[in-house]
Amino acid sequence: METETSSFETSEMLSTFLASTPLLSESWRLCNISNTSTPRGFLTEQIGDVGYIAFSGIQTVGNSEPSCRNLVPLMESDGNALFIPLHRLNEGEEPVMVHAGLLQLFLSMHSSTSFQNQMLALMEKSKPIVITGHSLGGTVATLCTLWLLSYFQSVSSPLQVLCITFGSPMLGNESLSKAVLRERWGGNFCNVVSKHDIMPRMLFAPEASFTQLHFLLQYWHLSMNCPRFGMLAQLHDEDKAELFRLVLCHLEVIAQAGEEVAKSLFWPLGSYLFCSEEGAICVDNAVSVIKMMHLLLMTGSPYSCVEDHLKYGDYVEKVSLQYLNQGSFMQADIPESSYESGVAISLQSLGIYSQEKVAKPVKDCLKTARRMGLRPNLNAAKLAVSLAKINPYRAQIEWYKASCDESDDHMGYYDCFKLRDNSKKGSKVNLNRHKLAAFWNNVIKMLDNNELPYDFNRRAKWVNTSQFYKLLVEPLDIAEYYRTGMHRVKGHYLKHGRERRYEIFDRWWRERKVSVDENNKRSKLASLTQDSCFWARVEEAREWLDNIRSERDPRKLAFLWENIDAFEKYARKLVDNMEVSRDVLLKNSSYNLWVEEWSKLKSQPKKFSPQFPDYVNGEVIP
Amino acid sequence: MASLNLEENIEIDTELIKKAYSLAVKAHSKSSEKAYNVEGSRRSSDPIIFSFSGCWSENGWYDGEPFGVTEINLPLLFPSLRSIGVNENALVNKAFLQRFVDKILGNSNFDREVQKAVKENKQILFTGHSSGGSIANLATIWFLEKYLRSDSPDNYKISPSSPLCVTFGCPLTGNHIFSHTLRRENWARYFIHFVMRYDIVPRILLAPISSIKLEFQKVFEFLNAKSVNLAHASIDTFDASNFYMKVMKNASSVVSHAACNLMGNTNLLLETVSNFIPLSPYKPFGTYVFCTGNGKLVILRNPDAVLQLLFYSSQLCTEEECADIAQRSLQQHFGYENELQDSFQMLNEVYLEPLEQIPLSSDSTSSDIATINSALNDLGLSTRARLCLCAARELEKRKIGNKESIDLKKPDIERAMKFLEEDYQLNGRHRGLGCYDAFKLHETPKDFEANVKRLELAGIWDEIIEMLKRYELPDTFEGLIDWVLLGTRYRRLVEPLDIANYYRHLKNEDTKAYMIRGRPKRYRFTQRWREHADRNKIPAESSGESCFWAEVEELRIKISSQGFEPIKKEVLQLEDQVLDWINNNKLDRDVLLEKSTFKKWWEDLPREHKLTSCIKDLMVVVGRSP
Repeated sequence: METETSSFETSEMLSTFLASTPLLSESWRLCNISNTSTPRGFLTEQIGDVGYIAFSGIQTVGNSEPSCRNLVPLMESDGNALFIPLHRLNEGEEPVMVHAGLLQLFLSMHSSTSFQNQMLALMEKSKPIVITGHSLGGTVATLCTLWLLSYFQSVSSPLQVLCITFGSPMLGNESLSKAVLRERWGGNFCNVVSKHDIMPRMLFAPEASFTQLHFLLQYWHLSMNCPRFGMLAQLHDEDKAELFRLVLCHLEVIAQAGEEVAKSLFWPLGSYLFCSEEGAICVDNAVSVIKMMHLLLMTGSPYSCVEDHLKYGDYVEKVSLQYLNQGSFMQADIPESSYESGVAISLQSLGIYSQEKVAKPVKDCLKTARRMGLRPNLNAAKLAVSLAKINPYRAQIEWYKASCDESDDHMGYYDCFKLRDNSKKGSKVNLNRHKLAAFWNNVIKMLDNNELPYDFNRRAKWVNTSQFYKLLVEPLDIAEYYRTGMHRVKGHYLKHGRERRYEIFDRWWRERKVSVDENNKRSKLASLTQDSCFWARVEEAREWLDNIRSERDPRKLAFLWENIDAFEKYARKLVDNMEVSRDVLLKNSSYNLWVEEWSKLKSQPKKFSPQFPDYVNGEVIP
Repeated sequence: MASLNLEENIEIDTELIKKAYSLAVKAHSKSSEKAYNVEGSRRSSDPIIFSFSGCWSENGWYDGEPFGVTEINLPLLFPSLRSIGVNENALVNKAFLQRFVDKILGNSNFDREVQKAVKENKQILFTGHSSGGSIANLATIWFLEKYLRSDSPDNYKISPSSPLCVTFGCPLTGNHIFSHTLRRENWARYFIHFVMRYDIVPRILLAPISSIKLEFQKVFEFLNAKSVNLAHASIDTFDASNFYMKVMKNASSVVSHAACNLMGNTNLLLETVSNFIPLSPYKPFGTYVFCTGNGKLVILRNPDAVLQLLFYSSQLCTEEECADIAQRSLQQHFGYENELQDSFQMLNEVYLEPLEQIPLSSDSTSSDIATINSALNDLGLSTRARLCLCAARELEKRKIGNKESIDLKKPDIERAMKFLEEDYQLNGRHRGLGCYDAFKLHETPKDFEANVKRLELAGIWDEIIEMLKRYELPDTFEGLIDWVLLGTRYRRLVEPLDIANYYRHLKNEDTKAYMIRGRPKRYRFTQRWREHADRNKIPAESSGESCFWAEVEELRIKISSQGFEPIKKEVLQLEDQVLDWINNNKLDRDVLLEKSTFKKWWEDLPREHKLTSCIKDLMVVVGRSP
């Protein structure tokens, strides 16, 4: 594996790229203006094609203190459904939580008409939009970006958004960070953090005292608004030292826990650009970000950790001018391996000398980050190869379907598989089903972990293959579910048994590019039933039919009638449009048996639905 | 007689280069009068030199669009300037292309003079200074397209030194596909670009016009004045510095973005940010000779490495140098004569390639790399810059590695194809069926086995296609005759099975006709390979014989819904093609078997049509034979 990872350390190169663009310096310029001229608000500006919105760093966080005691589940506080994509949950995952005060800050801003109007104006004029903010303004910017991304997703807008924050506190928990990765939004957040700034690290210490924070914020706000005023609210040295110690101590615990247990309530989101007097590096792996925050703070002091929060202007200017110079090396000995010299350059950019105590752990940290970023493209290519290897399993299932659909018992492959004996054929197919499921689950896992190219789920090859797999194999999954009686244990398949992969494939299929003129009428039955959940619906309808015989409560009976009626209409439409495969219509298929039973039932209206004649004849008899 | 050795068997007489330079400068200084000049003597051993002038105006460089590029869509003039499989045309500077088409090709004398030189089999040299160099590039490509065709009547005898294109301080001309194409056709070696360490002109197009608009006019006025009269021109230091800094800043974005990709950075931010800022699409090609300023010549060809070098060699040592270097970046554009004079006296050339031994530290002293190290120092390359060169090298190596691993799969491909060609075909014959119909019926275990082989092959070919789409195979790959042939065989053999599968599963009703929505890229790519390889013999899009069955199926569907008359034209066309394909063995005769879908479909056509059909004999003869 080692040879397949890149043999270069690129965190510094990426920051060089960022710094050579106007994005960082323009963002900071506007943040700075917003700090002085629009406290508690924001401003917008259009530069070339790019629209900017900058939130002031001076914000009041409700009545509550900005400590982490008040994290709230995003889903419950999101009354206006602004963040729908973040509500989706994986099995066993903690819900997405965000800082209550910071969320409130954004929500109240969002509800103002001036914000709405200016956002609309910006979206009309600009192709891409940069959302930025210093300090607390940065977290507002992050929420604003999450909202815009959610909105753009819902209306399929091609607009691009980039969030650039400067020295902002953490916003939410690990689930939030994961959800962002899952939506492929990880690349839309760039958090600039200076070497010693305590603000972005603050929320890692749960018990930082309210008074300390209050004074700190006051000092920063006054300094941002007008540097001279800052002096009025200087903090006591002891307080600074206490705060520094506290944050460092907590960070250390979290950094050492590493990946195994996320002990922190808060978790980094997106990429982090760490900057020093000497340059900058850019890291996106969350665990490495926390480690880096810890290691860099170790080189700071109670004084610098407070002052660094106000120095982003200097840092940005320095990195923006770096491109002109060759840059000389402080240390004489440059390692001969290209990877090690890349690491040496990164360390130099962080202003860390190789003799320093933190040098070694910083190097290790960069190494981990690199390993985590295994080349997604390579993975995709490898997946294509393994897909080719498992394709024969799918072909065997196709073969199985064809032979069942043609066999003399006229049952079709769904019922054959459901009622199979211990024949070799059936268990072979079952084995193949498992192998395919393992393959596709692995694809989903890799995607969740950001190990595949960001446009993977838009590539026609994968969208089509996954759809075909779903249509062919999901019926077998349903058959197995009902065969083993899982529906009695967990509930019906549709609600309780459907694997996440199928829902994801549904989404890929829905979101694919479709040309307008795609409404050909079918001339023959489809080769695979176009609704892969068809059989699950049949199973539920069968249950309703059973229940209707024993049910006496008229209200419940009415409900069952309604359900059955709806299913019948749905199924008939599929059949009429020839969107079902031939197995559905075979003589002994579950569906056909159901239809027969249902019409028998309907022909005895007196017995079963004396109260509801309207459902029988389609007309109301008084 | 001294000569400059460029390796790869290319040697050029230094006197010739000097002469080319003086002619190029002369052409450029009189650009208002003539777009090109020819110089040559009666002696047949003497070369003939075409020198081209450029121009100094904003819309002579940036014609619309931030970087002034346009898609080359001139299949007659430049049929090769595209990525074959991906089917994407190269981008080229629009103004330069326009100038070449209007002023050079539009002048009938030019064509005549070139033809004359070709007839006399003279060594032909195209040259240009500044944007004249870009015109020379295009002229050379035009020449190669025209005279290297095997069917060209005067079949020019090429040699490693003819034709040649020599440019001085030439701006970038085309994008990555442009560069890829020239390497694929093995034409890159005809181009030699001299670039002074600080000369800004070869770097200008790395910046979008919007970023340098303020200074552009003044700088170009200065450069223009200077090209007319060397002595009498000056420019404000402030403007010069701003211009230099802005070009460098944009160049920095381009090369650091490229380096991130070369080095395999996986951060999604890279992608997002590149959507926010316009990045120059230009990419170098050919052999670059960097003049260090102290008599050394640093030579390299790797386009990724050259791009990096264009930026890093112009960086400052210290900030204080800025004003001075900015002035020099403009002055050096006219400094080639002296520099070449010095360099050719010493002939102190350093080859950076194969880029295997790039010392990362500027004070590496080990003797075997001392020469390279001192050359890199002379270009002011920092460790960062050297790492970028290494990254370019790694990419090249990776591409070669990919090619090797694909070559190793050839036996697998052959084996699977052999099964289909022999076992499967034979099995079908026993049942009186061709492969297509046997596979479509899918009745026996052999059909299942064939399907597995089809999927195996698809896996291998899809992997190749994926690599090509990402340009992760050597540039030459799509021109390699063994792969073109294998691809063609594969396509003719297996595509019918894919079509059978498609129509067996009625995928045409889920999506659309095979040809519109269903045809896999592995067949589209391989078809284009062949059409490009034989571009002189067959017209484009003409070798779709492997899609024969898809056409039959679609015609069948159309006739059953619309009747014969409206479709008649298409039927006639297909019949013509079938006749041709059968006669040329591109289509197997099993399509004519009694039970074949095609045969059955044809038999159902109206009688009066069949009587006059061009394939009626074919149908009858085979039909009667046992």
